Order: sequence, then C-alpha cells, then structure tokens
Amino acid sequence: MSTLNTERDLLVFSIWAVLGFAGLAFLLEGFTRDSYFVCLLGTALIVAAFVAHIIVNFLFQQGFRPGETVLGIGAFGVLTFTFIAGVLSGSMSMVDYYSGLTLFSILIVGFIAYLSTRHGLRGAFSRFHVKTAVSEDSGR
Amino acid sequence: MINAGNLVWLPLYALFYVAVMLFWTRVAARENGNHETYFSAGHSLSPWISALTLAAASLSGWFLLGGSAEIAARGFAQPGVLQAGIVLALPGVLFFKRMWFVGQRLRLSSQAELFRSYFDSKFLVVVSVVVAVVFAVGFAGLQLRALSELIWMLSGGMISPLVASFFLGVVLFAYVGIGGMRAIGYFGVIQSVLAFTAIVGLAGFALMSSGGFAALNAGLQTLAQSPDGGGLFQVAGVIRFSAGLGRDVVMGHAETALTSLSVAMAFMGFQASPLAAKIVLSTRNANGFAAGQTWVMAGIVGGIIAFGMAIIGTAGLINPQLSLGGMLAQLQAASPWFMAWLFLGAVAGVQLLAGLGLLTAGEGLVRHIYKPYFHSSLSRVATVNLTRIVIALLALVSVLMQSLTPVTLSALGALALPLAFQLWTPLLGITWLRWITPAAATVGVGFGIAGVLLTETMGYEVLSFLGLELPWGRWPWTIHSAAWGMAANIAAFLIISAITNRNAFGAEAQEARRFVQSTLRMGPRARVLGAAAWSVALAWIFLAVGPGLVFGNFAFGTVDASGGAWSVGMPSIWAWALLFWALGVGLIWFLSYKMEMASPYLMDIPAYEPPRTLHHDQTRVEGERLRKLVVTGALAFILVVLVAFSFGS
Repeated sequence: MSTLNTERDLLVFSIWAVLGFAGLAFLLEGFTRDSYFVCLLGTALIVAAFVAHIIVNFLFQQGFRPGETVLGIGAFGVLTFTFIAGVLSGSMSMVDYYSGLTLFSILIVGFIAYLSTRHGLRGAFSRFHVKTAVSEDSGR
Repeated sequence: MINAGNLVWLPLYALFYVAVMLFWTRVAARENGNHETYFSAGHSLSPWISALTLAAASLSGWFLLGGSAEIAARGFAQPGVLQAGIVLALPGVLFFKRMWFVGQRLRLSSQAELFRSYFDSKFLVVVSVVVAVVFAVGFAGLQLRALSELIWMLSGGMISPLVASFFLGVVLFAYVGIGGMRAIGYFGVIQSVLAFTAIVGLAGFALMSSGGFAALNAGLQTLAQSPDGGGLFQVAGVIRFSAGLGRDVVMGHAETALTSLSVAMAFMGFQASPLAAKIVLSTRNANGFAAGQTWVMAGIVGGIIAFGMAIIGTAGLINPQLSLGGMLAQLQAASPWFMAWLFLGAVAGVQLLAGLGLLTAGEGLVRHIYKPYFHSSLSRVATVNLTRIVIALLALVSVLMQSLTPVTLSALGALALPLAFQLWTPLLGITWLRWITPAAATVGVGFGIAGVLLTETMGYEVLSFLGLELPWGRWPWTIHSAAWGMAANIAAFLIISAITNRNAFGAEAQEARRFVQSTLRMGPRARVLGAAAWSVALAWIFLAVGPGLVFGNFAFGTVDASGGAWSVGMPSIWAWALLFWALGVGLIWFLSYKMEMASPYLMDIPAYEPPRTLHHDQTRVEGERLRKLVVTGALAFILVVLVAFSFGS
C-alpha cells in the first residue's frame, strides 16, 4: 500500500469512526425516544460522513475502493431488510417509519447524484449496464 | 436501570475497535517488512499523522480522567491546568524543529540516541530510558487502572478490574508488539479523533444534563454561596510557605499561583520526554510542526481542555452524580450506544499514550542499554524480537501493578512528568544553548532528578522506609516537584557550564552544532522581533499560569458570600483562563511562524558520515560487564534490605 493510499484510508477510517458512529448513535437514540428530529440529526451526520469521504477521495484523486463499495451496499441491504422486517412485523411507530424512509430516500438520491456528477447521467447508467461483445463491436 | 441489552453495546464497540486495530497493525507490519522499520516507521510518518498522535498522546486520558476529576473536586483553584494546551505546545515550538534536523542529519531515531551522539553521556541515555519506563508502566498504568475500574462499574461488576486491565494490556501488546512505531502512528490517528470526540461528546452531555451553559454557571454561583465555596473559584494567593502535603495543613486551600505555574512546568515535561521525541524523529519532514503545535495542540487540544474538560469537571462539581463515572453510568442506562462510543474514545486516548510509552521503553531497554553495553553482536531481527518480549513484560508488570500495588503505581506515575521536565536542560543544549557542556547537562539532570525525588511521595516514602525522615512533605511551599527539580537543575548546570570546557564535544556533536547553525539561522525579521517575542512570552506565562493568576480572581467579577457579581456570566477565573487560552494560541502562532521557531523548512538532509573506526570483538568485555551488573544489583538489594531492616519503620 503506497503512503498516499494509506493516508487516504486513515482519513476515511477517522471520518467514519467519528461521523458514522455519531450518526448511528443519533439514529438509535431517535428510534428509542421516538423523535424524528434526533433521527434526522443522525441521518445528517451519516450524509456528512459520505460527503467527507467523497471530499477525501477527490483530494487523493481516488474513488471508492471495491471493499468500501461492498461494505456500503451490504450495510444498505441489511438496513433495508431490517426496515422491511420492522414494517411487516407492525412494531414500528410512525416516527420510526418516516425516519427510515427519510434515510433511504436521502441515501438513494445521494447515490444517484454522486454517480451522475462523477460519471454523467449516461455514464452512471453504464456503471450497471453489462456491455456484451456484440454491443461493443456493433458500432451502432 | 441497566439491562442485558444495554451491556451488549460496549463489547460490540470494543470488537469494532479491536478489528480496526488489527487491520492497521497488519498494514503497518507489512509496510515494516516485519522488522526493517519497526522502531521508527522508516522516518516516514506524515507530518499530519505526527501532529495528531502527538496531540492525542499529550492529551491522553489524563485530562479527561484526572483533569475533570480535579475540577470536580477542587473547582478552579488551579486554573493553570486549563492552559495545558498552550503549555504543551510551547516546548514543541522550542524543540521539535531543531531536534528533527539534528536527528535527520545524524540519522537518529530516539532521544536516547540523541543524548548519546551529542553529549556522549551514558547517564543521560539511562535517564531517558528510565523516564520512558516510568511513563509506560506508571503514568499510563495509572490511567489504564482508572479505565479498568470504569469497565468494572459499567459492566455491573461482571468484568473485574484485573480482567479489564489484562484485556487492555493484550490489545496494547498486539498492536505495539507487531506493528511497532508505524502501527502507533496509523492507529494513533483513529485513536486521536476518537479521544477528541469523546471529550467533546461528554462535555455536550454534561451541558445538556446541567440544563445548558447558563444553568451550569448559575449552579456554580449557587455553589459559591456555600461556606468555603468561594475558594473553588479563586487562586489562594501567590505562594504558601507550608511544609508540603502530608507534613503540614494549609489554611483554606493549597492551590496557589505558583502551584499552577509549577504544574504547568510538569505538563511541559511531556514534550521533552522520550515519547514525544520518538514521534518527532519518526516524522518524514519538519513541515508540520508549526501547524501541529499552533492549530492542533494549542488550538484544538487547548480548546478541548479549556472548554470541554472544564465543563465536564464543573458539572461534576455542581452535581457529583454528573462526575465522569456517574455520567457514563447514566448514559449506560439511557443511551448505551453513546456511552460505548464515548468510552471507547477515552480508552483510545489512554492506549495511544501507553502504546507509545511501551515501544519507547522497550526500544530503550534493548537498543540503547542492553545491546550497546552487553550484547553488541545482537542482530536486527533478534533486537526487534527481544524488544517485543520486553514490551510484553512491561505491559504485564503494568497490569499486575494496577491490581496489586496501586499506591506504588500512583507514586511512580506522579514522577513521570516532573522527571521528563528535567530533560529540558540537555534538549536546550542541543537545540539553542550551545554553551551547555556535556558535564553540565549530565550533572544538571542528576540534581534535577534528586530535586524531584525529594519533593515527591515516592522519594520521601523510600527514605522513610530506610529510616530517614525528611522535614518536608510533597510539594513544599505549594510548589510542584517539577519546579523544585528544575531549580536544582538550573543551579547545577549553570555552575558546571561556567567551569567546564565549552568546546569539549565529540565529532557528531560538533557536526550537529555546525549543521543547525548553518541551516536554521534566524531571518532578519525574526531577529528584530526577538525582544518582542521574549516580552510577550514572559507576560503570557506571568499572567496565564504564573503569579498574575491572582488578577483572574477579580478581573471579570467578584466572588463573595452572596455568590458575587459575575460580569461575563461565568466565574472570573474561568473567563480569565479562556481569554489567555485564546491569547496563548496567538502566542504559539507568533513563535512558530513569525519567529520561525517551528516554521516549515524543506530541504534534503544528507546523512553525516562519521570517520570509519575499527570494531573489536567485545564479547568478553560485555560478558564481564553483565556479570558486574548482576553482582552490583544483588549487592545493592542486600544493602537496601539491611538498611531497611536496621533503621526502617
């Protein structure tokens, strides 16, 4: 691992150790107290962590690492599963429900916005579009 | 009410902490090539990494655990503590840049090597190593013990302090033993931000629990109305001529302005310690010292101490249930996720200091004492492995002392800062005062150590054990042992410097002096500002931590039986401390940048090549030396036992 990569990773770890965990703690606090405002604060901190992560990526001229992407998508999947399980079990309050929706909406919109600004609208779509040999060679 | 669900969070966060630690230890070990750059990370740590780890190691857990407890118990009677960020930055500004240049020129990686190369003094090498050991075992051990007791409390008694301290010791050894200095630097960054966040978070919780800043100060004003309450918000004069703690009772309270000044001197000891030198000499270049000392140490750490630590302490002062332990217990019951996160920050800060201390002490014992004097043919791999064993042993000793001999540990820990402060003299000789001769530096430090020991619990207890009762106790005249030691130190080195040859330096020292003088010559503007810098620095010291503190008693209001008139909504002495913290940041900026004492300076420094000398086989001599050491140690032990048996109590 080069020195620059190490320093970038250290900053990323530090950002998530502070903002990520603070966000998680405020989300849990909000769910416990049934307070939408506290949940919103948690969401804002998580968004701040993402923004700081992207700024660090920009400063070091790098993108998200494959491990980070996997971890992010994995965490998103676990959160989604937990949220759906909560809704189906009927144990969620309206504050929990709206807090969850807010978090997911912001994460999804933020994700699309990030891809669009980084790769352009068409490029963002291409990140998920599997190019076949035919489509590459067809020249259309 | 604490239930099983609440207890899950602390182990869960601890698991995360250990996972991150293992990740960065692995990265460090791979970059080290196992043993190649184990001791100093190949002198490649980034300046910002060094700045952060230095700041957090200085902050450690002391200010959260000890500093807030001090305020919770005695209020603002010792306001010099609130200037710790500035007094910690001052020696950094004074020493680090020049120390790094000398170290880089002579390719040195520790303070002990610096002393050996410059002064050719075995005594100073041993003192440097002993100070590192005292920091690793005593100072850090004391803080780890406090954490272990908090873990015991937070786990509802399920985890005993011994098990907790053993766990903390194992985590320490895992990353220091495997990853060395690089792991301390890398993992130190994450520990630093966690430690800073913990204090800020706990201060926020203390504020919320107290009903806000105005309510907190209203509580303080109510407290001031109680009998003896006024003393909590005032410095008790400039000096009290008492015989010292344990020997004499002082009317009122014993915290005078000179207590604050001498405690500030003790804090200054950390930046002169071998631990700070270890980070400085492992840094890639000297470009970050000014920013590190000005913005990170004086600005962020200073602010965290002057605001955060003070808020946590005052909350505990008003309501003992909001002392650190009580606050964590409340959080454990109501918001265990917050408690686990913030407590982990406290653990991280202490572990950073302890890890750094263990590495420096282990390296010192093996590389600077055992190898050069008893086993010079030891290979690089064997040196690293032996250091790992010594680190494990030191960690074990610390863990055992935390449980078995807490009083001795406390006395030992109290020696760390004042002893390190005595190393100012040789460091001044290397960096600024060229007229301090090797003999003067050595004798000065010797006298300084004697001064510290004779005014600290450890010293007079040992003498008492041997049958010699001193007429004074701890900190006579309400002056900390660091200042007593320095008084003896200064007297000795001035006299010896005056009567010894000022040119009696070895080849490496001559080269270091020539190199520093030719490359770090002050610019014309800095020379013009010299007098102003002296004036401003001395005025700040006088008013912020010295006798001028008595003006702080009434500068922003009064304290009397009715609570007094607090013109800025807080105790006058706290407002005074905050004002001088802000001015102190300006002072550090001025000294660092305008006076060029720590300003960035980029240049390639070629290694100095000493004249080649023939190496003789030392095996027989070293074996003889080891035998003599063992015999002397055994004789000394027998002698001490006999004296204690004959005269001791």
